Amino acid sequence: MGSMIEVKSVKKAYKKRKTKERITAVNHVSFTVNRGEILGLLGPNGAGKTTTIKMICGLLVPDEGTVVINGYDIKKERLKALRHISAVLEGNRNLYWRLTVRENLEYFAGNRGFGRKDIHSKIEELLSLFRLKKKEHELVNNLSRGMQQKLAIAVAMMADTDIILLDEPTLGLDVETGYEVRELLRYITDKEGKTIIISTHDMPVVQDLCKRTVIINEGKVVTDEQVDNLIKLFETRAYSIKLRSPLSDNQLQLLQEKIPMHDYHDHMLEVTLEQDDDIYILMDILRDKHTKIEKMDRTTVDFEQVFMTLLKGEGYNEKVLSSH
Amino acid sequence: MKKFFHLIKANIKKEYIEMKRYWPNTLSMVLTIYFIFLAMFLGIQFVGDPNQADTNIQYVIVNYIFWYLTLITLQGPGFTITLEATRGTLEQLYMSPMGVWKIFLSRQIGTVIIHFFIIVVLLFASMLMTNQWLNISPLATLPIFLFTIIGMIGVSFIIAGLAIIVKQIQAFLQIMQFILMALTFIPLSVAPFLAYAPFVKGIDMIRQIMIHNMTLADFTWLDYALLIASAAFYFAIGIFTYLRCEKIAMEKGLLGQY
Ligand SMILES: Nc1ncnc2c1ncn2[C@@H]1O[C@H](COP(=O)(O)OP(=O)(O)OP(=O)(O)O)[C@@H](O)[C@H]1O
Ligand SMILES: [Mg+2]
Repeated sequence: MGSMIEVKSVKKAYKKRKTKERITAVNHVSFTVNRGEILGLLGPNGAGKTTTIKMICGLLVPDEGTVVINGYDIKKERLKALRHISAVLEGNRNLYWRLTVRENLEYFAGNRGFGRKDIHSKIEELLSLFRLKKKEHELVNNLSRGMQQKLAIAVAMMADTDIILLDEPTLGLDVETGYEVRELLRYITDKEGKTIIISTHDMPVVQDLCKRTVIINEGKVVTDEQVDNLIKLFETRAYSIKLRSPLSDNQLQLLQEKIPMHDYHDHMLEVTLEQDDDIYILMDILRDKHTKIEKMDRTTVDFEQVFMTLLKGEGYNEKVLSSH
Repeated sequence: MKKFFHLIKANIKKEYIEMKRYWPNTLSMVLTIYFIFLAMFLGIQFVGDPNQADTNIQYVIVNYIFWYLTLITLQGPGFTITLEATRGTLEQLYMSPMGVWKIFLSRQIGTVIIHFFIIVVLLFASMLMTNQWLNISPLATLPIFLFTIIGMIGVSFIIAGLAIIVKQIQAFLQIMQFILMALTFIPLSVAPFLAYAPFVKGIDMIRQIMIHNMTLADFTWLDYALLIASAAFYFAIGIFTYLRCEKIAMEKGLLGQY
């Protein structure tokens, strides 16, 4: 179980065309992905996810640092490394719109050096798995966004590589298609033993599919943890409290200052604590006006809350993880 | 090697599918070439005795054929890069472990085969229609043609390299048409130094065969040396330049349509 992808302190700055000003998109990012691991790469818009992915698949050369794919340095042995990688890049521009579904599958397979006979059964399998069989002779131009995305994933599967990189695979899909794509991804991640990086804003995708997550913000890694651990960690910190009497303005003010992650209406107070000790602060605020508690429960947290909390504020993150 | 063969097959097929699917374009292209051929051959008939004074018009026909093939070959990869960068498929091509230059080379082979076939068929059709015959002698012309094309493909890679970095090369391609016209139309006897320019030597040799009925034995070893050296030189320079540009593009992030 060696590491399949090693990203070592990569840095990338772009020069803006017009102003010539340099923006650092990725700033010394490091992480490794083991064989068979499913990693969620998260971060707000402009965090540097796409840039990182493009460096991993050799479309961008890092200014500093290296990427090693299954032992091959992507810079020095690019083509050897590429034998192990396929990618669905951001947006719906991974396919030839003037070719049909089947022609796209055949063309991209041919471009990797596969003959038609080698891939015949694989194509049939993918067409039925992705439920594209009926559309196999349809031009990509005439497909819905969701079908285009499914086909793009099928094309990446066709390459039959150890590593698949997916940049925002569910972006711009309606709920139903998004769900379908997620189910397909689950099938791939469960069955094939592939090493996968999924960059996404879609939290259910992370919670469902990813074992581990790397969160980046402004070009830096803020968290690198198992998804389960993060959720457990946060479960001990999220409470739903039913109060007998309303909170005073002063109490609300204090809450705002001391426990910013809260929500209060109709005697219901939902809080997420930044650290374990904050529970005492919360109790102090309530005791101040002798506010009675009718009921207090731990809330189940979803990954979205965890993500939002982790992104709030510098330094906060170290606190969370060190207290863990 | 087998992989490269599959690569070539896939790219010829793609070219063929697109020509068939967008057949009105293809048809109008074919008709244009056909009418130009016809007009030129008829020109021979009307101007006078085909056996003497019309080497000029024969020149024009052979020149036109090469100008057309050269244009198609030279623009190929540069045009693909500009187009696919805006459509977004360029990055997927760059993910192929075969290397993009091989994909472009396969496409070039496909393009040349298809267009060569069209040109030959049209040429014969026009010769039949007008009953004016050029000395095609394929056994002599084909090997020379092959080396000529290799040189052209080399130059097309230089243009491709330019295209990944600059992207906007349409203006340049327009000007190039005229440079090409000069290179394909001016006979070496007028400007001997042009023999060192890419693909000019080969075209000149083919003209000698088709118009002046020369055979392979009529050329000196120097002619062949120049032909082969020029092809090898321009091909090597082309691939080298292209690979350099590709590296710069990856360093500066120019492959996407940002
Ligand atoms: N080719 C480019 N030229 C100049 N700047 C770029 C280029 N690509 C990205 N950037 C800038 O680099 C930063 C990181 O961009 P990147 O696309 O990697 O972020 P991202 O995390 O993928 O964001 P999103 O969630 O919006 O897709 C952004 O500020 C972006 O504007
Ligand atoms: Mg992105």
